[in-house]
Amino acid sequence: MMLALIPLLPLFAALFAGFFGRRAPRDWSHWVCCAAVGFSFILSAFVLYEVAFLWPSLGTQSENVTLYTWLDLGSTKLTIGFLIDPLSALMMVVVTLVSFLVHVYTIGYMKDDPGYARFFSYIAFFTFSMLMLVMSDNFLQMFFGWEGVGLASYLLIGFWYTRPSATKAGMKAFLMNRVGDFGFIVGIGLLFAVLGTLNFAEIFARVDELQGLDVSLWPGLEWSLLTVACICLFIGAMGKSAQVPLHTWLPDSMEGPTPISALIHAATMVTAGIFMVARMSPVFEGSDTALSFMIIIGATTAISMALLGLVQNDIKRVVAYSTLSQLGYMTVALGASAYSAAIFHLMTHAFFKALLFLAAGSVIIALHHEQDLRKMGGLRHRMPITYWTALIGAWALAGLPPFSGFFSKEPIIEAARFAEVTGHAYAYWALTLGVFLTACYTFRMIFLAFHGAPRYGEASHGKHKSHKASHKEQHAAHHEPPKESPKVVTIPLIVLAICSVLAGILFATPVLFGDYFGTAIRGDYVAHPAMAILHAEWHGVISYLLHAFLTPPLWLALAGIATAWYFTLSAPTAAGKLAHMLGAVYGVLKNHFYIDALYERVIVRGTHSLSLWFVRGGERFWSEGVLVQGTARLVQWAAQSLRYLQTGYLYHYAFAMALGLVVLMTWWGMK
Amino acid sequence: MSFSAFLFYVLAAILLVSAVRVVSARQPVHAALSLVLAFFTMAALWITLGAEFLGLALVVIYVGAVMVLFLFVLMMLDVRQTDQTPRWKRHLMPSLLVGAVMLAEIVLLIVKGVKTKAALPENATSMENTRELGKLLFEDYLYPLELVAVLLLVGMIAAIVLTYRQSRFVKRQEPAEQIAVNRDDRLRVVSMPAETETEDAPVHSLERSPEKTGGH
Amino acid sequence: MPGLEPTLTHYLLLAAALLVISVVGIIANRRNVLVLLMAVELVLLSANLNFVAFSAYFDDLSGQVMTMFVLATAAVESAVGLALLILLFRRRGNVAVQTLDVMKG
Repeated sequence: MMLALIPLLPLFAALFAGFFGRRAPRDWSHWVCCAAVGFSFILSAFVLYEVAFLWPSLGTQSENVTLYTWLDLGSTKLTIGFLIDPLSALMMVVVTLVSFLVHVYTIGYMKDDPGYARFFSYIAFFTFSMLMLVMSDNFLQMFFGWEGVGLASYLLIGFWYTRPSATKAGMKAFLMNRVGDFGFIVGIGLLFAVLGTLNFAEIFARVDELQGLDVSLWPGLEWSLLTVACICLFIGAMGKSAQVPLHTWLPDSMEGPTPISALIHAATMVTAGIFMVARMSPVFEGSDTALSFMIIIGATTAISMALLGLVQNDIKRVVAYSTLSQLGYMTVALGASAYSAAIFHLMTHAFFKALLFLAAGSVIIALHHEQDLRKMGGLRHRMPITYWTALIGAWALAGLPPFSGFFSKEPIIEAARFAEVTGHAYAYWALTLGVFLTACYTFRMIFLAFHGAPRYGEASHGKHKSHKASHKEQHAAHHEPPKESPKVVTIPLIVLAICSVLAGILFATPVLFGDYFGTAIRGDYVAHPAMAILHAEWHGVISYLLHAFLTPPLWLALAGIATAWYFTLSAPTAAGKLAHMLGAVYGVLKNHFYIDALYERVIVRGTHSLSLWFVRGGERFWSEGVLVQGTARLVQWAAQSLRYLQTGYLYHYAFAMALGLVVLMTWWGMK
Repeated sequence: MSFSAFLFYVLAAILLVSAVRVVSARQPVHAALSLVLAFFTMAALWITLGAEFLGLALVVIYVGAVMVLFLFVLMMLDVRQTDQTPRWKRHLMPSLLVGAVMLAEIVLLIVKGVKTKAALPENATSMENTRELGKLLFEDYLYPLELVAVLLLVGMIAAIVLTYRQSRFVKRQEPAEQIAVNRDDRLRVVSMPAETETEDAPVHSLERSPEKTGGH
Repeated sequence: MPGLEPTLTHYLLLAAALLVISVVGIIANRRNVLVLLMAVELVLLSANLNFVAFSAYFDDLSGQVMTMFVLATAAVESAVGLALLILLFRRRGNVAVQTLDVMKG
């Protein structure tokens, strides 16, 4: 029952804030939601404690709690249940912790927004859905949570629904996710069709039955069923976790309020895909093709999105592209069968990326909703807490030892190196180069925002996105120097910074190489030995730190920082020159590899013209002309013809009756 | 050929001829009288079959009551058969054709279906028939009998209600309305302020006042 | 084929002939609703003849009881039918079947 409370508390809070929040006093919403999510975090932490410290002595590996059977189809039972194992326990803690901190932060960030209660309702609902997703013990419930977080994401991206760009971004996110969800549900359907069950434990137990089965994609093309199912599932993960080519919604989702970017589009929801693949590790292990598909997609995402991060001027977009890139890292880890590394990176990334986003949000509030990096600068002294926490986040993101990013990213690169699936070499080089790029764009952002001379005074007055403040107030506020954000904003920053620093050192050994995950993640270490090799080389945290100085990633990261420093602080004009020199490349990057344009040209317009064709041919002619009006005309014609039968004369009817009698008698006589 | 057989053929012939006359007579009165004949013949046939109570009942009910009703109606309606149309026109042929096919099929069914060759029993127990019928009717078939009685009652009420025309010239009392009257229908007490002298009270207002002052 | 002595078959055939005559009458009659009602009486009469014949054949009086019921029902039918006929006459002034085409489609 305690388990059920973990997702239900946020749900009740969401319902409260949603239905009564407008009428109740303003601060009730945040008290209820924060309390609910906070309590849920405490319960999750307790579950994690139990899982991590009590279970090993008991020998328990996982616990399957079925709450409720809501559909009994004889052989198939659809249930609401929780699968508690080290994987879900870890995710629960990460989700509830980040969510709780974001709730607290929101109190400060959304202080003046008219949709205050609505916002709390949405994020509490998101927390509920995400918890349902990570805790579920079957595919259907997971899909429910999966769609629930998608819905929450849609609602929150379009939170400021009066802005057309926000509603469009929301739609885009929703539609892109539909593409992924289609793959996901096809994958679920395939597994269900073959195994007849949606329960994870049963699927894992019977995964061997899938080996050797083939499915015919179209006549003559036979693929291993396992591969098709895994790729379909991974397409779902690609949508949710924004992998190339389904990534374009994530940068646009930055239209939403910053806490959302932190919670949903960086820390938790986008990692749902990674989590799902890790959860399905026993299935994915069976298909080398799917693994290699993942590793290639992940590496491509990691490198291309890092490149795009270099040219962004919007502070949130820089962080958004870094998120995409880091998700690519996680996907590579999955492809290399280093599931624990992926999950570990997911966890540390949740901390430092939420931290970076919240810090960016803090800067944005201080500058009155100014998001352009070119109009920042010199905030270091004005906002020391934000600066230092952001710096910690940047170090962690760049993977500098001893911050958490180092402990999670290094193993991924190593795993890509030692993996044996096709494409691992490409992934290794892409990731290594990615380290340089990551450091470069991260510190470019830090330098532009916090160092150098202040540029915010020059900002033009017309471009504010502030909603509440009247023009006069804005004007007055603008001449005040930016000041440090209130405590509800800085405290979450500090907590996340502490997590970002310590998570790596404290948890690397047990999570990565220890037996923390037990059987929750089952790699086939003979066929896919990357993790085993890493494990063999692991000699504890300290030696790993020292070892770092002998490997390229650290030096590449430092080089990236130096490059960023050169182009932003030392020689600010050099960047422009370089962009000028590499005009074509710069254009490609500025236009996001033209992927958005391609989608616009091919898919949007193609759909549009196809729809037009259907409207003209299908709707106007067939549906309206033939079916609707045709039916009417047919009936009319039939009635016109048949009305002559109804003469109104009694004897005609009597004649018909007699005739009918004759026919009946003939019928009976024949028998 | 025994006498009963002879009787059967004679009666059957009369029955069929009178039936044909019923449907083909030019005058409805002739049709009605032919129908009376048909009923009589049928009653005789039934009596030869030992159902003398039914035969008599048929004579009494149908010939005595129903047919008289028919004749009454005929006379009341005063139908003049102007008869511009020829008696049998082109629609007769299809009717006869259907009738012929129907007859052929029924005959076929009967001849093929009824295997027995035994002559029907003569009316052996004439006294017993009525008694037995009464017993059966009032013991085994009591409830159906009651139902039929109710049906007759309903039919009677329906016939009366359908044809009943209330005359406009009859004056009668309505005791129910007379009793249901209450005080307020008869007397209205009006509360009126005492009249005060106003200087330019319009004169015609007094003229309108009887409605106000007078109660019924 | 049946012999000369009247058996069940004879009575049934007689009833069938009666039925067919009255049915043809119903179909062919164009002039008078009253005659139509009489033809219906004939139809019922032919059914009654069957009942009585079977009753005699099986030596079971239930058939005659049924005949009683049919007679009563037929009486009700003719009473109501005649009432309707009177209404019809009041409304239209004649009872010719071929003028009754209000229901024409």
